Amino acid sequence: MSAPIATGLAAYLTRAWGEPVGIEALSRISGGASRETYRFDAVVGGRRRPLILRRDPPGSLIETDRRSEFLALKSFHGRGVAAPEPLILEDEGAELERPFFIMARIESGAASSPFAPDPYAPHAAELGADFFGALGRIAGADAASLPIAEVCEAPALDACWRRELDYWSGVIEADEQHPQPIVRAAIRWLARHPPPPAAKLAVVHGDYRSGNFLHDGAGRMTAVLDWEMVHLGDPLEDLGWAMDPLWSHGESGRVAGVLPRAEAIAVWETASGLTFDPAAFVWWELFASVKGQAIWTSAAKAYRDGGFREPILCFSGWYTARRHDEILAAKLTELTA
Amino acid sequence: MTPSVRDVLQGVAIALSTPPSPDAGVAFDASRTGLAASLAMMAAAEGERAAAAAIAENADIRALFAAASAHDPDGELAAAARQTDTDLSVPALDAANAGLRRRLIALHERVEVANDADFERKIVALYVRMAEGRRLALGLG
Repeated sequence: MSAPIATGLAAYLTRAWGEPVGIEALSRISGGASRETYRFDAVVGGRRRPLILRRDPPGSLIETDRRSEFLALKSFHGRGVAAPEPLILEDEGAELERPFFIMARIESGAASSPFAPDPYAPHAAELGADFFGALGRIAGADAASLPIAEVCEAPALDACWRRELDYWSGVIEADEQHPQPIVRAAIRWLARHPPPPAAKLAVVHGDYRSGNFLHDGAGRMTAVLDWEMVHLGDPLEDLGWAMDPLWSHGESGRVAGVLPRAEAIAVWETASGLTFDPAAFVWWELFASVKGQAIWTSAAKAYRDGGFREPILCFSGWYTARRHDEILAAKLTELTA
Repeated sequence: MTPSVRDVLQGVAIALSTPPSPDAGVAFDASRTGLAASLAMMAAAEGERAAAAAIAENADIRALFAAASAHDPDGELAAAARQTDTDLSVPALDAANAGLRRRLIALHERVEVANDADFERKIVALYVRMAEGRRLALGLG
């Protein structure tokens, strides 16, 4: 049923591990828009190893560095963040023809759609403590001492905001197909009102949000996924993204669908050892919605350029883009009142 | 606007008519088909109101231009405000909308430079109406 990839995987792993490897139960799963994700079992020496393959697609929604993602997993696996164990990184593609990496599969848990109503009930509060606690531990980690520091640029503390704003506004500039006055107004506001320098240089997951983790249905987060946009920057960037209203679909009282805002911030502060700066956070909250709109703008372009073949790109470039226009307009209303 | 209803339905048709890849699992196929079904439902709703939404937004932007004389030194906005949509096909309305939005972006930039907070609030209020007018309800796929 999956001859090409299974055959290539078996040949690659047999060569890499130096003994015969069989591939069973390989199937593609949803998991991030920028890499093909497959689950499979590698049978080696009579032992079955549950694994995940993340392979570069022919075209990608976001230009990401698989080495960064791999090293981010290596940085946090076993350090209180539930990052899956990274096992093999292959930059050339070898038998699978396109670059890929392999990581251990975490069996205990499932992802919930951020657009489902009340996706984490009835354990949202416990899960929220896990979710914002792990984010705090990522923010509080000593980035310079982690493997991820080998590949990520380290911006100056007062340059984190500018680098991110320039990058994502450039994405909109490059990929926009219909003029977007709302997000452009937000970009100009951000440029005119810079935040204070970052409190520290932190690892920024880049896509830490509802829907991007596994949970056991009983209030425990079992895996933090989709590290493909990881970089070093201001720790408030991840917090702003996690708390963006898009990710608390249909909820006004709980951020990310899990905790009231003040409780989420308190959990994050305790776990990170950092002090939340509400004035700086105003900037990072608005930026989060700009970044979202940039991603959806790219999705819409990728959907068209790719011959309308990926429904997820259509959804992202359509529903989420319009939702973020609403969110941005509401934020601009507050900021210009 | 992008993607257009035509773009969305083209993708739905491709998704539903393309055989599953040999590497795709049952869950992946079910998820993809369910998403395509949701998109079809959303496209049905959008198809019913896309023209009306574009006409309303274009009229709203023109009304703002008509009130923007303090920021319209060469009368370009006043001229745009006097135009009306005569071709009511969605592509024609979208093309007119793109032109109006470009002028709106330039107007907002001038208003910021002039530090005209009152008029900026009128622009942002328009943004709220524009976003609400284009709101999509999630389909039930």
